[in-house]
Amino acid sequence: MLETINVSKSFKGKKAVQDVSLYLDNGESVGLIGPNGAGKSTTISMISTLIKPTSGEIKLNGANTINKPEKIRKILGVVPQELALYQELSAYENLKFFGSIYKMKGNDLEKRIQRALEIVGLADRQKDLVKTFSGGMKRRVNIAAALLHRPQILILDEPTVGIDPQSRNHILETVRALNEKDGTTILYTSHYMEEVEQLCDRLYIMDYGEVIAAGTKAELLSILQAEDTVKAELSKMDEAFIQQVKTIDGVRKAEASHLQLKIIAKKGSNLISELVHLADQHQLQIINFHTETPSLEDVFLHLTGRTLRD
Amino acid sequence: MRSFIKKDLLIFWRDRKELMTVLLLPIVLVVVLNFAFSGLLGNDEESGMDLQLAVVNQDDETEAMADLQEKLTREASLGESEAAALVEQASHADPVQMLFDFLDSEDVTEIVTVHQLEEDETIEKAQAGEMDGILVIPNGFAADSLYAAFTGESPATSLVFKMENETMNTSALFQIINGFMEQMNFQFALQAAGSEPDAEVMLPEGGFEEVEAVESHSFSLTQYFTVAMGALFSLFIAATVATKTGEEIRQQVFNRILLTNSHSVLFLIGKVVSTFFLAWFQMMFVFMFSQAVLDAFPDRSITFWLGTIGIVTLLSLSIAGLGAVFTAISLRVTNIDAANGIFFLVIILFGVIGGNFVPVYVMPDWLQQIGEWTPNGRALVMLTEWIQFEELSSIIMPSMLLIGFFLLCIVIGLILFPKRGKAS
Repeated sequence: MLETINVSKSFKGKKAVQDVSLYLDNGESVGLIGPNGAGKSTTISMISTLIKPTSGEIKLNGANTINKPEKIRKILGVVPQELALYQELSAYENLKFFGSIYKMKGNDLEKRIQRALEIVGLADRQKDLVKTFSGGMKRRVNIAAALLHRPQILILDEPTVGIDPQSRNHILETVRALNEKDGTTILYTSHYMEEVEQLCDRLYIMDYGEVIAAGTKAELLSILQAEDTVKAELSKMDEAFIQQVKTIDGVRKAEASHLQLKIIAKKGSNLISELVHLADQHQLQIINFHTETPSLEDVFLHLTGRTLRD
Repeated sequence: MRSFIKKDLLIFWRDRKELMTVLLLPIVLVVVLNFAFSGLLGNDEESGMDLQLAVVNQDDETEAMADLQEKLTREASLGESEAAALVEQASHADPVQMLFDFLDSEDVTEIVTVHQLEEDETIEKAQAGEMDGILVIPNGFAADSLYAAFTGESPATSLVFKMENETMNTSALFQIINGFMEQMNFQFALQAAGSEPDAEVMLPEGGFEEVEAVESHSFSLTQYFTVAMGALFSLFIAATVATKTGEEIRQQVFNRILLTNSHSVLFLIGKVVSTFFLAWFQMMFVFMFSQAVLDAFPDRSITFWLGTIGIVTLLSLSIAGLGAVFTAISLRVTNIDAANGIFFLVIILFGVIGGNFVPVYVMPDWLQQIGEWTPNGRALVMLTEWIQFEELSSIIMPSMLLIGFFLLCIVIGLILFPKRGKAS
């Protein structure tokens, strides 16, 4: 349906996005994850025709859209990271304005406004000014404005940043319903791994402007099939101890956070006995430890050497 | 496009702080300035000027005719009898006497008090601020002027006007004296052109007769402040609209508009139209308030009000054009705060050279000429003339200039309006 082929974008000679290739099939829900500055928003801006790529192609059903953006705009709904709304207007007035410039009018416009407000659960607050809404409600109006023209593809750029858990759940449920019930194709970016795990069939992982891994959850998790993740709680933290843990045969990564130590090691390593031995040497107590099933977060850590929120 | 206009007007209406600033500040200033200056100058309707003029007469009138006869026979090579006839004729048109007659005339004595003093004394008084100007009649002025009038040569001496500082009073005095000299020279020139030996030199009838010939209304301080503040604050509308455009970019609303496939120029046209309406309402509000509360335009006809509305409409149009340029710049720059600062400076500059802060006549001529090319300066001149003379012919050409300014700004706005992906 929609694909980008080796798309790159440079700003003043500095590459923000490099050779990104991704595709969205009809009705799919695809996640684009990466830390801040990974190039997700730039990639989305190029797909949604707001900026032109420096090189590469963006195709909709096989036709290049870069020089003819009108066609893709008709079927694309974009929920930007910022609240693209007029704060001094009510939710209804905002939707009416955006609907009218989509050339909708009369009863049709009215029905679409009410439908969009129902989807995001704000029909009863439609006459209130946006500036009086909570952060979560504003984000829901932001989504409603992108749904007015019933887009086939909905792109959401970190739609849950800085909002309360209740609004976050509401947004996630809304996106899921749009995908599963209405068949809307979703491209969802976030740096919350759990959101993407919950919503998306396939994932693209971006870092430093490049796609570093892609696939279904199972495919991505298989990257860590040959590894174990061990978490240990220590009585105290000792930097020399951590450095020595990293030298244990088969250990790929060791990261400490407060009194928690997370170790990724090759399956079959003699990790536990070595760990106990080292703790003894450094006069540390291991209060508890357990082996975890690898998560996508671990995959990201494995691929980039840092966590999503770094 | 109606959606864009409605949206912009609604946003402006909901921004009560901005609305109050734009509507109330000019009328507060009109009221404050009006009372402040009324207190200084008294009631501006009734008070006349009280100009103090020191006259230093270094010319000896008793010798003027003898000097003239000598010059005519020696330098112009006229015969004794011919020269005597001209001197006899000239004795009825002594320029010094004409000047004093002029200064003693009813019209002039109403506003000018003449002090005949010695030069040392006048300088002392002028430095003490007691005199607004000093007029020196140099020795031989009468003979030289008459000789020049008869022979067509340039006079060897001329009146000297001195002032300590340039003020409104000194400017007014200078204009009065200059008016007299022009009138006298004109009469002498008429006599020379007629070349009838028996023609008498016509006495000038005073410097104000021409003004009195045209029916006019006085132009009061209240009217000046109404017009000046109305025009100045309407300029700020253009900057306000551009500032709101900056907010639309910051909030990515502009991008959302682009994604609807609506032509981006509609966005610009929406800004132009809403700027026009806002500027128009703002200025009309100032005029209506001044009329209702300060009785700024008493007993004026419906024609006067229609003309005023017409001029306000044209000024609003040119401000809408300025709004287009500011909006296009806002869409291009990366630092919207810096752009807003520049817009503010441009408006202050327009306000200063357009005469919205001080009357233009206190500024140098070249600056006045530049000021008349600003929309507010041009409209100020138009309104000033319209209030005084109500002559349609006097506002037609300036109206064309305001329309031209609008069209020029629209073209610049369209050229600067960013293409896809160029908006900051």
